[in-house]
Formats: sequence, C-alpha cells, structure tokens
Amino acid sequence: MSGRATRRTAVTGIGVVAPNGLHAETYWKNVKDGTSVLDRVTREGCEHLPLRVAGEVRGFDAAALIEETFLVQTDKFTHFALAAADAALQDAGLSQAAWAEAPYSVGVVTAAGSGGGEFGQRELQKLWGKGSRFVGPYQSIAWFYAASTGQISIRKGFKGPCSVVAADEAGGLDAVAHAARAVHRGTDVIVVGAAEAPLAPYSGVCQLGYPELSTEADPARAYRPFTSAACGFVPAEGGAVLVVESLDRARRRDADVRATVAGHAATFTGASRWDRSREGLAQAVRVALDEAGCAPEEIDVVFADALGVPEADRAEALALADALGAHGTRVPVTAPKAGIGRSYCGAPMLDIVAAVQAMEHGLIPPTPGVFDICHDIDLVTSSARPADLRTALVLSRGLMGSNAALVLRRGDASAV
Amino acid sequence: MTTQVTQVTVTELATLMKQAAGVTVDPHDLERRADTPFAEFGLDSLGLLGIVGELENRHGRALPTDAERCKSPRAFLDLVNGALATGV
Repeated sequence: MSGRATRRTAVTGIGVVAPNGLHAETYWKNVKDGTSVLDRVTREGCEHLPLRVAGEVRGFDAAALIEETFLVQTDKFTHFALAAADAALQDAGLSQAAWAEAPYSVGVVTAAGSGGGEFGQRELQKLWGKGSRFVGPYQSIAWFYAASTGQISIRKGFKGPCSVVAADEAGGLDAVAHAARAVHRGTDVIVVGAAEAPLAPYSGVCQLGYPELSTEADPARAYRPFTSAACGFVPAEGGAVLVVESLDRARRRDADVRATVAGHAATFTGASRWDRSREGLAQAVRVALDEAGCAPEEIDVVFADALGVPEADRAEALALADALGAHGTRVPVTAPKAGIGRSYCGAPMLDIVAAVQAMEHGLIPPTPGVFDICHDIDLVTSSARPADLRTALVLSRGLMGSNAALVLRRGDASAV
Repeated sequence: MTTQVTQVTVTELATLMKQAAGVTVDPHDLERRADTPFAEFGLDSLGLLGIVGELENRHGRALPTDAERCKSPRAFLDLVNGALATGV
C-alpha cells in the first residue's frame, strides 16, 4: 500500500457499542472523563470462573435495534457489529438510497478474534445433550469469525468487496488498512470495524489459558497498565465500526471528514514473546510513519496497546523510544482501555475512535485507574489534557504475537 | 397396523417460521399467499432447513431431501404432508 493511497482515505462515520457507551458521544464523554466501567463479571454461567473482572456491555437492547430474522441467526458479537454499522452509516450521512442504485460501491471489512462463542456453545450443548439432529443450521454461520462481515453486507445490501481480517487483536488496525486499500482500488465506501463478545462460559474458559489474563477480583486493581501493580489485562465486549471512503469522494459529497488514515504497518514476533514485541512494535511504528510521510516529532498523542503485563508494558515503552527517539519519552501517551477492558479486535477500533474524538476536541483522555507509572513515558492520567492534536498514533498487539501501528491525521472539522 | 397421520398445518408452518428463522407471518396471510416464494416472506434456505430438522425431530422420521429445497409454502406442505401420509 502506498502512503499516497492511505493519505486519501477519510473516516466519515463512527459507530460504537462499548462497555462505557452505546453511542459514540457517550463513549467519548466517559473516555474523556476517565471513567472506569470495569466491574465483576455477571454473565450467567461465568460466576465461578477465575476471570473475575471485565468490561461488559450492559443495557444493549438487540431486539430494539436488529430485525428478528437477523437476531436468530447471529451471535451477540454480530449484534454489536450490526448496531455499530448502523450508527456509523448514519453518522456518515449515508442512507439506503445512497447505495441502493450502486450496491457494488460499498464493501465491508471486519476483524474478529473470538467469533460467536455464546451461540456456538448453545448449539454444542444441543449436540451433546440431544444429538446432532437438534443442532440448528445457523450454527454453520453464526459462530464463524466471518459472520459479522457477511451479515452487515446482507442486511444492508452491500455487494462491494467484503473481507475478514483474522490477525489477532492487532487485526483491528489491519482491517482499517485493508479498508483503505480497498478504497484505493476503487470501491467508494468501506464499512470497517470489529466487535467482540467474549464473555460467555465457553469463551471465558477459552481465555483462562492466557497467562496475560488478569484474575484479580477487585475492579479497581484488575487492569493497571504501566504501573508496578500491573497484573494482566481484563477482557471486554463491544467494539466500533467506521465508514471510510476516499478523501476526494468525501469532499465531493460534502461529508464531514472526521480524520484521515495516513499510515499503517503490521509485524509478527511470536505468541507471548513480549520482549520481542519491542522490536516488532517499533518496526511497525517506523513503517507506518514512513507510509504516512510523518516525522516522529509530528506524533501528538499515542494510544498505547497497554497490555498491563510488566514485560509487555516495558517493551511498549521502549519501542516508543526506539521508533520515535527522544520524542518517544516526551509524547503524551494514553490508554483509555484501562477503564474499558480489551475487546480483542474491538479494542484497537475503540482506540481509533477515541483518537479521532481526541483530535476533534483537542483533548487527550486520561488512563483510568493508573497513577504511578514505572516506565519512561508521559502517560496522561487523572484528567484529560488539552492539546492541539494533528496526528495520532494507535498501537495494538495480540496475544498470539501480532503488532500493528496506525497513523491518523486530524479531519477538517477538528478543533484548531 | 394403525397409523396416525399427522398433517402439518399452515398455522404450524407459520409458528415454525417464527421459531426457527425469526420470520413473523400471519397464518392467514401465509395461506392466502401459499404460492409466494419463501424468500419473499424473508425465509432463507438455512431457515427452511431448520424447519425441516424441527419437523423431523417432532415426527421422529426423516423427510425427503427435496423438502428443504421447496420454494413456496404450498410446495413444502404438499411434499411434507404427502411424505407423512404415505410414510415414504
């Protein structure tokens, strides 16, 4: 992907379904205020698991937002994606009429880490409890990680290029880069995002093997990245969907360009090899900056991966210094996800949203629940810090070894 | 040998469409439009497959493989009820 191509990709719509907000505006208010919504896991069948704290999406009324024909054949992770896609399209000012005559002009890209665990568990229980004849046919599509891309495109009638990025948690950033490439290749609009629903018994058990998972029972102590008390990460539900299109097209239709995608790169350094993620993350940052035509000093804020594992936090802090030089210890860094949890591929998508909103408002949101930083970075804590933000760097790593960096530039309507 | 023939009614099909595929359809409307393709009611092929599976479980027997390929309510009910009646 050439830098020229990505620089012309505009973000014109944002939709959010997150533990701290079912709308983008609510999400931003809570992110800006540094509100933590981490709480004890309350999902049925999860009470006995050693996974005690998470970011649950609460109050989401799927039946009020999504037609029953779609609800019966989809898992919660797809419900989140469908709702977020609706919100993003509305934000972008794109109505059904806009694509009804040109359905091939709109495509969909989602990233997924865990798929539809709750739906899958229900059907597997029928399989072992009653027999194979009692497994519903929608099992074949609902728990598949590609379900959300398919259902968004079917529900909206989008017939443009559709894909799924399965690249670990960092795949959330890779999906946006993939969307930018699709736009560069000529598709007018790509609906791109990720949402996850990993809080159900089967999904919960699947995560118990991760040494990075926090099993701390106190929500205030469970996820404290960049501190000496860091004891792992907590998972979360939800995610975000964006509408991206070429900058030229966005300007032609007089759309509100909320930000532009300027550069991206991804690397791989091996599962749980956090020491090596330093090199992988630094390289991703260098290549993303190069693609964006961006000097290290131009980065005004970093949305950190912030895994909350001491070795990983150290690697990330050092990677910033490696890639940005002296600027790496001066640039403001933040991690709103410390108050939300990590919704796997949805986590970097939510960070992108926060980065766009931060640039729009000229405000760096704080890292909730974190006070004593034990690394040489300027982590924003306690309260939001006003700043003129033109360029944001979003970082993400996955437990299986993926690292990615995405550079975003401020849009037209942002605060100056 | 006495065989109790159970017929699948339009009302039962409407209930199954709701239960298996989330499609809400009034039984009278379904009866009136019995030759209208399932797709126009919003029922996709996997939804019909789910209905076939449910009927097979209820009746404790396999239905003809063509059942899941029926395009309309009338074609489906004719095939299913014919199979249930003849035991074939």
